[in-house]
Amino acid sequence: MMTSHAPYFIAAWIFLWGLYGIVTSKNLVHQVVCLAILQTSTYVLLLAIGFKVGGTAPVFADIPVGTVVVDPLVQALMLTDVVVEATVMALLLSMVVKANELAGTVDPEELRILTG
Amino acid sequence: MSSRSRVVLFLVSAAGLAAIFAWGFRDLPPMGDYRGPYGYALTQVAVYERHATDVVNAINYDYRGFDTLEEEFILFASVMGVLLIFRPAKGGKGDDDEKKKRQTQIDDDLPISDSLRVSMQGMAGIMIVFGVYIAAHGQLTPGGGFQGGVILASVPLVVYLSGNWRAFEQIISNPLVKIAECGGAAGYAVIGISALFFGAHFLTNIVPLGVTGDPFSAGTIALISLSVGAEVTGGFVLLMHVYLQEIIEERLGKKS
Amino acid sequence: MITALIPLPIAIPLIAAAFIALTGNWIGRRACDTLAIATSSTNIVLTILILRGTWLHTQVYWFGNWWPRGDNVVLGISFTIDAIGASLAVLTTVLTTAGLIFAWKIFEDTENHFQPLMLIFMAAMCGFAYTGDLFNLFVFFELMSVSAFALCGLKTLEPAPLQGAFNFAVVNTVGAFMILIGIALLYARTGALNFAQVGRSLGTHPADALVLLSLLFISVGYLAKAAIVPFHFWLADAHAVAPSPVCVLFSGVMVELGIYAVARVYATIFQGALSAHTSQLREIFLVTAAITALVGGFMCYAEHHLKRLLAFSTISHAGLMLAGVALLTPKALAGLFIYVLSHGVIKGGLFLCAGIVLHRLQRIGESHLHGCGRGMWFTAALFILGAWGLAGAAPFGTLLGESMISDAAKTFQQDWVKYIFMFVEIITAAAVLRVTFRIFFGWGKPAPTDESSQVEELPETKKQQAGETPAVMFVPAAVLILLGVCITAIPQLRSVAQANADSFLNQTAYAREVLNNAQLPAPTLQPSEAITSSIVRSSIAGLMALLLALGTVFRDRLGAILNFTRGLERGNAAVRKLHSGHPGDYVAWLTFGTALLGGMFVWWLR
Repeated sequence: MMTSHAPYFIAAWIFLWGLYGIVTSKNLVHQVVCLAILQTSTYVLLLAIGFKVGGTAPVFADIPVGTVVVDPLVQALMLTDVVVEATVMALLLSMVVKANELAGTVDPEELRILTG
Repeated sequence: MSSRSRVVLFLVSAAGLAAIFAWGFRDLPPMGDYRGPYGYALTQVAVYERHATDVVNAINYDYRGFDTLEEEFILFASVMGVLLIFRPAKGGKGDDDEKKKRQTQIDDDLPISDSLRVSMQGMAGIMIVFGVYIAAHGQLTPGGGFQGGVILASVPLVVYLSGNWRAFEQIISNPLVKIAECGGAAGYAVIGISALFFGAHFLTNIVPLGVTGDPFSAGTIALISLSVGAEVTGGFVLLMHVYLQEIIEERLGKKS
Repeated sequence: MITALIPLPIAIPLIAAAFIALTGNWIGRRACDTLAIATSSTNIVLTILILRGTWLHTQVYWFGNWWPRGDNVVLGISFTIDAIGASLAVLTTVLTTAGLIFAWKIFEDTENHFQPLMLIFMAAMCGFAYTGDLFNLFVFFELMSVSAFALCGLKTLEPAPLQGAFNFAVVNTVGAFMILIGIALLYARTGALNFAQVGRSLGTHPADALVLLSLLFISVGYLAKAAIVPFHFWLADAHAVAPSPVCVLFSGVMVELGIYAVARVYATIFQGALSAHTSQLREIFLVTAAITALVGGFMCYAEHHLKRLLAFSTISHAGLMLAGVALLTPKALAGLFIYVLSHGVIKGGLFLCAGIVLHRLQRIGESHLHGCGRGMWFTAALFILGAWGLAGAAPFGTLLGESMISDAAKTFQQDWVKYIFMFVEIITAAAVLRVTFRIFFGWGKPAPTDESSQVEELPETKKQQAGETPAVMFVPAAVLILLGVCITAIPQLRSVAQANADSFLNQTAYAREVLNNAQLPAPTLQPSEAITSSIVRSSIAGLMALLLALGTVFRDRLGAILNFTRGLERGNAAVRKLHSGHPGDYVAWLTFGTALLGGMFVWWLR
């Protein structure tokens, strides 16, 4: 059971580490990167779900239709996720850069202007 | 909340969450035993119905093409957001201090070595061809618009690395970049709407499908792939323009 | 006939957004504004036509002509539109048009990136309300979120908006990844992504750990968007700094769409699998809803920053809406959606009025603005009408919603739900009335200052123009609040809502319509019941709100008996400190809430 379910537990482990990173971070850039790490756990989970033993890539350019391939759908979902992650990170990093420009710090403790 | 209490709260919750993960993930089918009907059905029919050999891209641009349209606009919206956040402020504070800080940073840069300069300039040409190849063969081999677009968007970076600031500045501030980005984004939606004029539903593949394995096959999949490639290239080059603009102006100002 | 129209409310704004982004600098600000307003007005017409076509039955639209294969395998993406989703799309387009018209006079320097983002935001929310596919729902959720993050951080002359947008982005993105994990788990179990196919595949087998885990993650993700305690911390920060037209969309429809998503996912996917545990699920979510309503209400009264006050009132109303979903019965669901529509327009109107205050008086803290609004009679009238609507009083649509939800609660012996409603109505309406009395009439002493109201919002318009309220600002605010009344004028509103809620919760009929292309007969409309007890309750609530507001404002004159209002205004210091503005705190609470909810699922729903 352990080896066959290991990738799923790895995905859960990465997810929890990403959350830990965000919670304990002292630097906004570090927080954004931890968010990216959180996202990679979903990639591991998706690809592990779609794997088929003995399957090859779902590209039929040189293999006949009907050979065993891995699930193409999770790969398509993952491509969408990668683009979403990259764009959200770009937006968040631009906010951090601009906040640093205006307030001179990237420490969330010092940047606590909005409270209560 | 103090830093300590935050960490304690988190660790307690994470322990609970880890237990819930372990309890739930046991019921997943073991890895390597994918059974679901969706992926299986698609691998059976995609090649015949759409004359596309790359099933992943057939899913991305045809079967679930609507998702990819939205995803492309997520990229568009976030580029728009970065442009909005970095827009030149009128009457903002800290502009002058910022410029002085940057000035001192650039004053101590290193000279570019000849081997770097030559190899990077050679790479630029190869990367352009490679990027266009990847974007244009989306329906045949792994690749497609997003991947080809990212490769093409790295070309200006390679030019920057080779030390040719002027060429870099000319590339990234060319109006064609914005046209590529907005045109690629709108083009995808327009291809979708054009299907409506033929009485079919949005994003139906109405272009002749060609022969499987040809560079011009699979109908709208190839067209959409090129459109997405244009948008991704334009989007990332615009991001580069925004992030590096001030630095480039300083460098050019220093040289002249 | 309307089949051809269905993709247009999403495609047209996207193309218009790309066009405005490309040509904005050449055609000038006014042309961009006009084009944006024209596009969103066209969208109002399109969404109303789609609503008319789906008034009493469901339309299914398959993208790319990918009809399902062999009765059970779905290859493409579907839009499954019923009147509930269509009406949410109408709400979105109306609020966006109002916001764009309001923005005519503001934002001199956004280089025309504001209008494309608003159009993309609107398209994403319309698609979210229409879709019938799990992953498509997630992608629209992300599109909606990304444009919201960008719009929230629009004012870049100060660091506070960037902090607000960052907190918003971190919490919502963690929630989005949780939704993705939930979708992956459902996909692993059923091999499908379409609501109907997943629901049919899960069938009525009792839910095991995997299904419960996916329910947990999907609910947490959408409830984080819906600002339910303890996932709610981001909302006040985001509202405090976002521009007024954007706040209209956040509170008016974005938060409500989170509640809608939970309801839809439950109704089409998990309902059969959890049928043995419906009453436990009901109690879990009712308790969460009650806590949200209470926390939101108390924090609302303790705020003195006008937009944060309205944001906390949104949180407590979101708790009420979750209560409507939590009852898991058609009557409550019907009442919920009527409530959502009415609350959306009223809250949107109130935010536009807050924008008018910011424009005329150039500040937004209640203590700084004491008495400065004297002479702005019309704006004051709109605030009072809005407060009356928040109190759920006749003739606003919120009354109908509340009556249906309370009636449904009575049938499950959860009679206390109506008292939660009354509490929220009293305290949020009293907060708005208190602000009106202090700012526009100058009664009583100035409000106590607190940390949050010290964060001043930069004015959105130039000082020279602040002499009067232009029509483009006033008319949308007035129209939105009046729409809250006009909703009650729709013929047979409650019967139609009830019929739609019946089919919303009918999992097998939904699957047959989507997968087997079954044409179900139009439902018969039942007559709606009398609402006299609700009218009495809401009138009492309105009166008590008035008394509470007057008591707070005049407490120095009226004696020591009203000292409790001072405590109410200060709020609980510990709870206020928890809203610290630190994203790590917010994510820690998100994890805590997930673990707690997960623990409750494991304990009671197995």
